[in-house]
Amino acid sequence: MIVVLHQLTAALYLAAGLLAGVGLALARPTLSRAAVAVLVAGAALHGVAFVAFHLAAEPPPLTDLPASVSLMAWLGVLFYLSLLVRSRLTALVVGVAPMAFLGAFFAALRLPHSEHEPFVGAASSWPHAHVLLASGGLASLAIAFLAGVVFLAEDRRLKAKRPMSGRLRLPSLEALDRVNAVALVVGFPLLTLGVLTGMMWVEGTSGHFWTGAAHETWSMVAWAVYGVLVAARFPAHQGARQAAIAAVAGFAFLLFAVIGVGLLT
Amino acid sequence: MRVLVVGMNHRTAPLEVRERFAVADPAPHLAKLVACEEIDEALLLSTCNRVEVVALTRHLEAARHRLRAFFHRDLAGETPVQGAASLENLLFEYLDGPAMRQVFRVAASLDSMVVGEPQILGQMKDAYRAAVECGACGAILSRLFQCAFAAAKRVRRETRIGERPVSVARVAVDLAKQIFESFDDKTALLVGAGEMIETALEALRGEGLRSILVANRTQAHAEALAQRFGATARGLGELREMLPHADIVLTCTAGETPILGVADFAEAIRARHGRPLFVIDIGVPRNVDPGVNRLDSVYLYDIDDLAGVAAANADERRRETMLGEGIVLEEQQRFDGWLLALQAVPTIRHLRARAEAIRQAELQRALQRLSLGENERQAVESLTRSIVNKLLHAPVSRLRAEAEREEGLAYLEAARVLFALDDPEMPGAEAAEPAALDDLLRGALPDSEDSEGT
Repeated sequence: MIVVLHQLTAALYLAAGLLAGVGLALARPTLSRAAVAVLVAGAALHGVAFVAFHLAAEPPPLTDLPASVSLMAWLGVLFYLSLLVRSRLTALVVGVAPMAFLGAFFAALRLPHSEHEPFVGAASSWPHAHVLLASGGLASLAIAFLAGVVFLAEDRRLKAKRPMSGRLRLPSLEALDRVNAVALVVGFPLLTLGVLTGMMWVEGTSGHFWTGAAHETWSMVAWAVYGVLVAARFPAHQGARQAAIAAVAGFAFLLFAVIGVGLLT
Repeated sequence: MRVLVVGMNHRTAPLEVRERFAVADPAPHLAKLVACEEIDEALLLSTCNRVEVVALTRHLEAARHRLRAFFHRDLAGETPVQGAASLENLLFEYLDGPAMRQVFRVAASLDSMVVGEPQILGQMKDAYRAAVECGACGAILSRLFQCAFAAAKRVRRETRIGERPVSVARVAVDLAKQIFESFDDKTALLVGAGEMIETALEALRGEGLRSILVANRTQAHAEALAQRFGATARGLGELREMLPHADIVLTCTAGETPILGVADFAEAIRARHGRPLFVIDIGVPRNVDPGVNRLDSVYLYDIDDLAGVAAANADERRRETMLGEGIVLEEQQRFDGWLLALQAVPTIRHLRARAEAIRQAELQRALQRLSLGENERQAVESLTRSIVNKLLHAPVSRLRAEAEREEGLAYLEAARVLFALDDPEMPGAEAAEPAALDDLLRGALPDSEDSEGT
């Protein structure tokens, strides 16, 4: 049931991504709006999948990598949709939908496929708080990454005197920079809380806040990197282009530290 | 019935002539035109780029003279334009197919000075409304304009003809929109003066700029400009202090060397904490060092850059024009078909009258020989009507369908010969009298007599 819901969700996210891509290529705003509608449907179905998770195992097994990736994709979509209410960011769906698709598709492939393979839930509440907060932080920073990529592409175009024309536009540089800032403001505190709850989780299982595992070390380094980026962005009034580069590089490093290291070790 | 268009536009007449012929209120002119016997319906379109009369007539030569006289006498007024012969050279004339095509092309903005501009459709709708209200626009021109409006909407929907800005001012606004999300918290700084830069500033102001600063070498000029734009005037010496406060800088001032360099903008960007700055430099020689564009958060466009974008957009519009012409042709053919179908109306009406006359005559003869009660009489009456309708249904439908094509005239001719419709001795010959236009249109619409049933 949960796997099927994830498969359907992934299909909807994929459809939203394709619609948005075609809409952007043909400069058809109606297709982009349709893509957002399909993304909303996908997010609703994704929510149903998490309800099913909860019913299957209480508390839900969020510490599982596929489940946490799925949660990150869902929170990312919800964060984007909440930004969409206040800014003209419709065209950004072209990046959000494929990212959400990858998350949901990965979960659909890796989640247990039969009732005989039970979900492994964690007994304590720290692991769940850790995954929930860290996933929220990662999702926000993923949106900052996406806004950064689009910003750099648009900046390059405008500097090269090749502006976009047509009915469908990517968001303005100002809007993209604002998304970047908001995502950092939301994402970094969540990431910080995620690190703290992670330490509580480790303390609960090993009796120490720090065991020196590669995953812990790299996560702390990534958190410190983001701490520097936040300091550069806000107190030091970093420019929009540097902030976009920082958001792209920072998220790539964070992804490696949180997921890459886990897969490699 | 012929469609005739006579007028002048931006290609045939210069602005000073067009503005003399511009008509503020077309109603009295149209009333005069349709009061003449030679013109059945008329519509007058007057914009800054064209003055055109679209007329429907059954007397072509007389209508032609009347419309030319309308331009020579009614619109030219007391002082003719460099003699009658000269005005004659400024007028164009289209007849039937080309005339209808002209109406469709104008509505779709394919004939505009700036192809794809959206205002013309609204202006044409106003002209149509005025013509309908004063009773000058009847069923046929109404249909023509409704079809033209539908074609214009299709062109706008199915092509990208109106998407890309083609004027330097609109390109500047378009670029600013790609940098800034909104303008209501933005400040523009105007350095110098000039028609093009002021047009760009006007266009940006239309988007809702919060405030405008003006700097000029001459304080008096600065103050005059400031008064015009509701701005704050400053001397050129304060330029560097003003720079960090501006989100958009527009420069157009005389001078051999740039008045703003990389260091000025680097300092401004630092003071702005990296917030973007859009610089439009229309000065020749340039007022801003081109190296400024290499600074982060500064987007510098000079006159060549803006003109380059405008030219590329214009090329794109021209490519879209081909698609627009195809749509116009398709919609015009649809209207042509409807208009041609009107020619079948007299023949169909005559055919029906003939059949009805025969039915009545035969029915009376039969009823005299039979002694029938009221119910039986009605049954026989209904039976004969049903037979006639069923017999006529196929030929009448075929005639209507075929009449929508040029070749359909042969079918009409054949019907007239086969049923001897031109023989005045035959029953129903009185229906061959020429019909009024409204009667023709009523006849063009399907009615119950045409149905296969009773």
